[in-house]
Amino acid sequence: MSSSDRADGSAGAGPAIRVSGLAKRYGDFEAVRGLDFTVAPGEVVGFLGPNGAGKTTTMRMLTGFLPASDGEAAIAGHDIFTDATPARRAIGYLPETPPLYPEMTPAGFVTFVAKIKDVPRGERAERVDRALERCGLIDVRDREIRQLSKGYRQRVGLAQAIVHEPAVLVLDEPTVGLDPIQIREIRTLIRDLAATGRQTVLLSTHILAEVEAICQRVILIDRGRKVLDQPIAEITADGGSLEEVFTRVLTRDEADDSAGAGEAA
Amino acid sequence: MHTLTIAGRELRALFVSPVAYVVLTLWSVIAGTFFLASLIGFQERLLQLQQFQMFQQIQETNLNDELIEPFIGSMWVILLFLLPAVTMGLVSSEKANGTEELLLTSPISIWDIVLGKFLAGSGFVLVMTAIIAFFPALLFVYGEPEVGKTVSGLVCLLLVSMTYVAVGVFASSVTRSQLIAFVLTLVLLVMLGLMLPFLVDITLAGSGVGRDSAISKTVQWIATGSHVDRMLRGLVDTADLAYFAISSAVFLLLSKTVIESARWR
Repeated sequence: MSSSDRADGSAGAGPAIRVSGLAKRYGDFEAVRGLDFTVAPGEVVGFLGPNGAGKTTTMRMLTGFLPASDGEAAIAGHDIFTDATPARRAIGYLPETPPLYPEMTPAGFVTFVAKIKDVPRGERAERVDRALERCGLIDVRDREIRQLSKGYRQRVGLAQAIVHEPAVLVLDEPTVGLDPIQIREIRTLIRDLAATGRQTVLLSTHILAEVEAICQRVILIDRGRKVLDQPIAEITADGGSLEEVFTRVLTRDEADDSAGAGEAA
Repeated sequence: MHTLTIAGRELRALFVSPVAYVVLTLWSVIAGTFFLASLIGFQERLLQLQQFQMFQQIQETNLNDELIEPFIGSMWVILLFLLPAVTMGLVSSEKANGTEELLLTSPISIWDIVLGKFLAGSGFVLVMTAIIAFFPALLFVYGEPEVGKTVSGLVCLLLVSMTYVAVGVFASSVTRSQLIAFVLTLVLLVMLGLMLPFLVDITLAGSGVGRDSAISKTVQWIATGSHVDRMLRGLVDTADLAYFAISSAVFLLLSKTVIESARWR
């Protein structure tokens, strides 16, 4: 792929996200151990795991914030480390704590993000307006972010992630700390984005209902390794609930671990 | 291009922060007080000289040497203590806001961030210098100071401020705490601006190594004092200009390295 590919056009061939052998070590501690998975364009994937499983670390490597200790990650065909600029243009990222400048207004902030994400000057105002509108921020567009409620701040975080219309959206626990109504609003928003069929989404959470409501497929990780990668329809086809399956997989994983590496189910 | 985007946002943020107004108010009040005191001193000296009919000295007394130069020199010392409050948040607040994650996953380079911060700080000290310029400008209404010397003094103040901004960017990039950044900048500036030559004199005293030794001379060169002294007296030397450029570049390079390497740990 040539580096002139734009964020919206580059998802044509190959997977939207490709991760192979990705690992992160902090000294002796292995946060992520040899992770492999791919996400097809337009797919909405839930990235699940208990707290401390390595979800945030994986997402940080995927977005180029953290360098990987080992392995590769590519966004829309661009390696995130060696071909960083086009890869970064193709990514919209909402970290665990939404990155916000409290003294700015949503409109000012999203415009700033549009600039640093290389949205062409001519399209900037229009795309900023569209992002604000999609995230329901039109009424508060000129208020200071510091005055906004947590739910609204999360929406501003989402607006900055989608303003450059990236091929891939990476959302790290987008509903954590919100009240039930705000959670529903954010979910609706993500589902609307996904409903276009062109938006690839990787969404981390540990709320199973969220995954069932939004995602087509789940990737479950535990202690830095992938333990399950399956479409939701398959999981629930034989009458099982996500919760049952996950509990079973996670318990088995723990048992495997204590019994030694050679044990097979 | 992105450098200017970062700089523009930062400059706006600086000017809406209460810290900026506290600093600018203090700066103006102190400048006004010093200037008035210098002016009164200057008049008294002239009166004294007249009383004793020392016409030779009256001829030699001029506004530049007796008033403008010591005035700008005093403000340079005040700068050491006020500037840390301006620069403390430049990079550290990005870490505290979580916006570091946004910047570092955007298609911009770390130089864009570092130079943007430096330019924003430079814009702020330009305003501080303009406030100082107001006072000598008054003298042109009532007297005849030398234009060259006066401009050289003001340019010197601007250059030394910009060098200190680079120091501030560096100190601000090593921590997420504005308080630590403030203290670190203060220590670095007081060392560079005031303490370094004394420390060397004290250390070398009795060791048989004189003030002409290589060590002593190197430290004298690293300290800002001698460069400022010459330029305030109207002596614009490329060696002194090079000093400001080199020390700024060194601290900006250090900042870039620190921001880059923070993620590898």
